[in-house]
Amino acid sequence: MPLVILSPMTYAAGSLDDLDLESLMAMDIQVTSAMKRSQSAFDTATSIYVLSKERITHSGATSIPEALKMVPGLVVRQLDNNQWAISARGVASRFSSKMLVMIDGQSLYTPQFSAVYWETLNVPLYDIERIEVIRGQGGQLWSSNANNGVINIITKNSLDTRGLYADAASGSQVNIDANIRYGNDISDIGSYRVYGHVKDGDASEKGLVLEPNDVTQQYSFGGRMDFSTSDHWSGFVQGDITESKLGQNYRGVIDDTNRNITFTDKLERTDSRVMARLENRMSDSANQMLQVSWLNQSGSQTYLQEEFESFDVDYQMNFIYQALQLDWGLNYRYSTISFEDSLFLHSDKEFDNLQQYGGFIQAQFALIPEELDLVLGTRAEHNDLTDWEYQPLARLLWKPQENQVLWSAVSQSVRIPSLIEFNDNYAINGQKVSEVLPFSTGIEAIDEYHIKTYLNGNDDVEAETSLSYELGYRLSQQSWNLDVSLYHTEAEDVAVIDINPNVEQFYPALALFQSGQLQQALQALTQTTIQFDIVSTADLTTQGGDIVLSWVPADMFNAELGYSYNTFEYDLPENTFPAIGRDSTTRQIFAKADVHLFDSHNIFATVRVENSDAYLTENYTLLDLTWNWAVSQHWGVSVTGKNLFAGSHLEYANRQETYTIPNYIDESVLFKVTANF
Amino acid sequence: MHKITQLLHVLLFSFLLLTSQSAAAAEQEYALKAGFLYNFARYGEWHDSALSPDKFVICSPDASFTETAKSVLNQRSVNKRPITIRHIQFELEQVNRCQLLFISSASLSDWLSWQKQQDYIAENTMVVGESKGLIEAGGHIRFFIASGKVRFEVSPQQLQQSGITMSSKVLRLGRVLER
Repeated sequence: MPLVILSPMTYAAGSLDDLDLESLMAMDIQVTSAMKRSQSAFDTATSIYVLSKERITHSGATSIPEALKMVPGLVVRQLDNNQWAISARGVASRFSSKMLVMIDGQSLYTPQFSAVYWETLNVPLYDIERIEVIRGQGGQLWSSNANNGVINIITKNSLDTRGLYADAASGSQVNIDANIRYGNDISDIGSYRVYGHVKDGDASEKGLVLEPNDVTQQYSFGGRMDFSTSDHWSGFVQGDITESKLGQNYRGVIDDTNRNITFTDKLERTDSRVMARLENRMSDSANQMLQVSWLNQSGSQTYLQEEFESFDVDYQMNFIYQALQLDWGLNYRYSTISFEDSLFLHSDKEFDNLQQYGGFIQAQFALIPEELDLVLGTRAEHNDLTDWEYQPLARLLWKPQENQVLWSAVSQSVRIPSLIEFNDNYAINGQKVSEVLPFSTGIEAIDEYHIKTYLNGNDDVEAETSLSYELGYRLSQQSWNLDVSLYHTEAEDVAVIDINPNVEQFYPALALFQSGQLQQALQALTQTTIQFDIVSTADLTTQGGDIVLSWVPADMFNAELGYSYNTFEYDLPENTFPAIGRDSTTRQIFAKADVHLFDSHNIFATVRVENSDAYLTENYTLLDLTWNWAVSQHWGVSVTGKNLFAGSHLEYANRQETYTIPNYIDESVLFKVTANF
Repeated sequence: MHKITQLLHVLLFSFLLLTSQSAAAAEQEYALKAGFLYNFARYGEWHDSALSPDKFVICSPDASFTETAKSVLNQRSVNKRPITIRHIQFELEQVNRCQLLFISSASLSDWLSWQKQQDYIAENTMVVGESKGLIEAGGHIRFFIASGKVRFEVSPQQLQQSGITMSSKVLRLGRVLER
């Protein structure tokens, strides 16, 4: 979805204070409209965190997920050197996170499962303007499937990336990670940039089940062209293609043992996207925008072939009329999905295309000018699986003083079932007879036999609706800022797995067993199956909060301290167990420092303490440390140590899962040379 | 949950009928542009240093701009010289006292005709504007809007001819014109 332009917190409250040229260039000319246009993060009635371009480049991160590790309140768990599970206010797996992820408003959410392929998400970090992370519900503004949050990666206007940039990095886990970009003007109406990226990454050192195989070979190529024909019309077109060959270990059920078998395999993926946006400033107080985008993701591995294509059109208009700020928009999405039947997966409803369309409206009204604002909005959206869904919200923003904001919100968000929940049937690790029957036969061949077991999507599954109550407070002082947010979310119609083994089907085999016909009894067992159905019958309560304290005592030093606490609790009907995550408590402590020394040196450090029982791992503490040295105006070098003092640690260990197999995450060192002309 | 949903819808639509007093939308644009002028002043070098050694004078014939600039640049100084904002008429004596002159789009045509009458060529005055054609008419820097943000194009040669050099810190952020 389009256009969020929220200035980083540092531009908040008395925003024109420092008049630094680069800050001025980042600011919008209009303060007209609310959340979906320009607004200072300070004045936003949402739990938002803005990761600035300076922090991204100082951190030594080489990918978007690595950069996201710097966001307090976001839980970023690494499964291996390629795979990630990322969420806020919830529990994520590689294939589920209930978070909406976008590049310049283009959604990367795949309807097949509720997450994105982080491993092939390639945006050159040096071309990122900022990353905005909303913790909690964003459905009303940003479309469905944003129950746990929104991540919007905003790239730079090509006007700001003219010239030649190149970097090359190598280290203990990376053979080469190199980037090149060139940008220039297009007469006096626009500018462009083209870029390329190549990466060759090593495997981790230690696996959990198998020898690690998480190598990476990746090539990307892309470009962007911006134009502004007058002060009233501007726009851009951008496109990107990424070819990835990723080693992975996984498991699946492919033979008569009916058991998960582990594999070492290579996954090949091609991800491409194109988008175009046209913006029109209709007057000093009104804007409109049209965005068209296309996305194609295809993946190929031994037992799974998949292709996902999506075409999106978004229109949005913002205007201000006296004390009323109004935003409204329309959206349409057409997706095609082909997931070829394989040994462990087949689809029974044969959905090969999905349409989604709807609109949103949001109004912000100053009840007391400059002091008390009320925001009301709703989104109505139709989808092919659960028909119309509504996502209303109300927010109140009280600014008793220029440097203080108290906000509260009530909102409803919707997650449309993924095709896995709705449409697909998976062969999962077989159930042992001894686990299904209330007694043991004493005969190993029977007791230990694994009955074929399926996890079935179900077209009665409803959309998960969550109602969230939020409260927040921000304080901005001369040299420090405080940002506190608390939330309580009640979700209904949450997908869980119904486990009815249907014991009666075993009677024929049992009768044969009792009459001593063991061979026939075993034969009869091979005809039995256990069907686990996905049903949307559970309730889920999540609650907690985030505190972020930032301190800027001097130009050469800034630091941040954060604490997040989240609990996740299911209310399960009988005979069901959670499909995503489990009852758990997650705590995170966060400390970050960015220190400039002698003009040309910069030290950037992040310490994270992850304490959670959500992923079946030990608690761990990590230090990421980068030293940047600007050798000259054009050349820079940096050394980054990642996961320092954590040695080999597990960030994800949900071993019951079909498919994923994590590895231990290593300490690593990376050297990088940067050229800028 | 449904009750809350219904309530929110009712509230939303009743509230759309309300309105109250106005907010100044265009002011932000001039505030930002005033901020840019401050940076042009800081990073420019006026070769004739004899001009106003005790203050830095920014002028414009547009009162709405000078009002905004006064509040944004209040208490600011350039190389220890306090900034003075002056609302001027197009008269040679007044224009010559400005180190920096901002021609808003509303005052462009007045500027062009005055320039023609006077046969005026800027010397020691940086001329910044926001309308197409300003550089062609001898101006130095022109603001334009791209995707809702202020950007600028600059002619270093014309600046040089007027006795001003601009630091590369500013030039690398703008669109540099050949003329």
